Amino acid sequence: MSEVALNDTNVTAGAGVTRASALNRLRTTDVAFRTLTRIAVFTVLALLSGVILALIIGSVPAFKAFGFGFVTTEVWNPVTEKFGALAPVYGTLVTSFIALVIAVPVGLMIAFFLTELCPMWLRRPIGISIELLAGIPSIIYGIWGLFIFAPFVQKYIQPFLIDTFDGVPGLQDVFAGPPYGIGMLTAGFILAIMVLPFITSISRDVFDAVPAVLKEATYGLGCTTWEVFKHVILPYTRVGVIGGVMLGLGRALGETMAVTFVIGNAHTVSASILAPGTTISASIANEFTEAVGDLYTSSLIALGLILFVITFIVLAIARYMLLRLQQKGR
Amino acid sequence: MSIASSNASMTVPVATHTGVNAAGLSEKVSIRNLEFFYGDSRALKGINLPLYANKTTAFIGPSGCGKSTLLRILNRMYDLYPGQRATGQVMFDGENLLDAGVDINLLRARIGMVFQKPTPFPMSIYENIAFGIRLYEKLPRSEVDARVEHALRRAALWDEVKDKLAASGLGLSGGQQQRLCIARTVAVKPEVILFDEPCSALDPISTAKIEELIDELKQDYTIVIVTHNMQQAARVSDFTCFMYLGDLIEFDVTEKIFTAPTDKRTQAYITGRFG
Repeated sequence: MSEVALNDTNVTAGAGVTRASALNRLRTTDVAFRTLTRIAVFTVLALLSGVILALIIGSVPAFKAFGFGFVTTEVWNPVTEKFGALAPVYGTLVTSFIALVIAVPVGLMIAFFLTELCPMWLRRPIGISIELLAGIPSIIYGIWGLFIFAPFVQKYIQPFLIDTFDGVPGLQDVFAGPPYGIGMLTAGFILAIMVLPFITSISRDVFDAVPAVLKEATYGLGCTTWEVFKHVILPYTRVGVIGGVMLGLGRALGETMAVTFVIGNAHTVSASILAPGTTISASIANEFTEAVGDLYTSSLIALGLILFVITFIVLAIARYMLLRLQQKGR
Repeated sequence: MSIASSNASMTVPVATHTGVNAAGLSEKVSIRNLEFFYGDSRALKGINLPLYANKTTAFIGPSGCGKSTLLRILNRMYDLYPGQRATGQVMFDGENLLDAGVDINLLRARIGMVFQKPTPFPMSIYENIAFGIRLYEKLPRSEVDARVEHALRRAALWDEVKDKLAASGLGLSGGQQQRLCIARTVAVKPEVILFDEPCSALDPISTAKIEELIDELKQDYTIVIVTHNMQQAARVSDFTCFMYLGDLIEFDVTEKIFTAPTDKRTQAYITGRFG
């Protein structure tokens, strides 16, 4: 080792000086680069904890005034300064649930069509069109929902639902009341369209990962396409699909603009999904400018904190599911 | 049926078949003038071949010769992929199974297939087998149980799994998984079983077990096996068909192929000079 090094210095004594300075220069840029990457990471982490901290500090007055009852109270009265988060939390969960009920089956079917049945030349155009849905700004969904879709729902879908379920125990309360057009159901429909691309593209990726030979083996037993999908592809990709659904749910929970347009913004908890309601993000967006009292502002911030916690849990579950799928794939 | 019987009396018009004395043999499947295309490229060129009932026929040949392609035509697996098509005739019980009107799901139940890699479904050992049975028959639980046990015994797997039928099929060893797949295929009562290099992912002991099994299964089924392993072809098959570049070069009794092949290319391949 030392002999080689000695030889090296002897032969390239002149070149060694320039090389050393070059190395020096490179070392400086390298250190700078490494430091920059660290700074970038820590800045984001600091921002994240800053946001959490700000939310917690900002919501302290509200939680002090109302205690845990803040989450379970329906009243939202700025005049008497009585605030409760139940209506927005309820609206957020119901609209997201409606969105998933619609978007999951549709998304899975589209994904299956794209991976198994669609002719090759059509796959890319269809796939891209569906991903474009995710690129439409939510304000556009909002105005489309308010001016085109809500009247349509009011005229055709809601009367149909009310008539159909009239007299059915349980369900008649879910589909009760006058057809306003706007309301939780309409918001759920809009959200369904918005989360569809997430569910579709993740399901498509995990369906693609099913080994061809496994599908062939199932077809080889004489299974129909539906049987292959139900008995083999879905069980095999279950974890990944759930992960995709959770990501979609994360989006649905936090979506603000489109929902604010069509939900009606009423702080009530109603059994009927046709009734107007509100969501956490819609309440915040609507009322922040008019929140004059400290308690009012603090209550809105507390709403934000609740949304943050819900979304965080959902996304954590999604990541965990996808991680497990990757480990299984190895 | 009338087509099949007229066909049995017909002498196979290919010189390579002359060595086979067809007396006492019945053709389960008759392949005639079969051509196969991947898009525009022709992968099989005018194949004529009988598959005799209750015999094992091996397809051998170097990679890319078309032996797996030929196997996958027999249960129309190529239908899953656009751009692949076959012309000619594959007569199976008097019916050309290449016809558009053939019920593919029924065909695949009658002509089962075991793949290169074990392909247990993501469900329990019991369900892996009961699944296929339930596709075709509505049976009471006790009868399904009996069929599952029978299939597992037939695949020489029963003693190893009888205490853990509810466990996942994915937890078995490679060799056990492959026998599970054989049991699954047997359970739907096929007439023909296609093996696509069934041992290529297995260790020697598992391979021996599968080969033994194939030998037993031919009492009840017509067996076709694609293999890269010439010793395996010699061990398990009654007839061997050597293919090269999409042509069927030689078809004969296995012993003759391996001891006195008529074609130079066959001889070169079995002695390991290419492939």
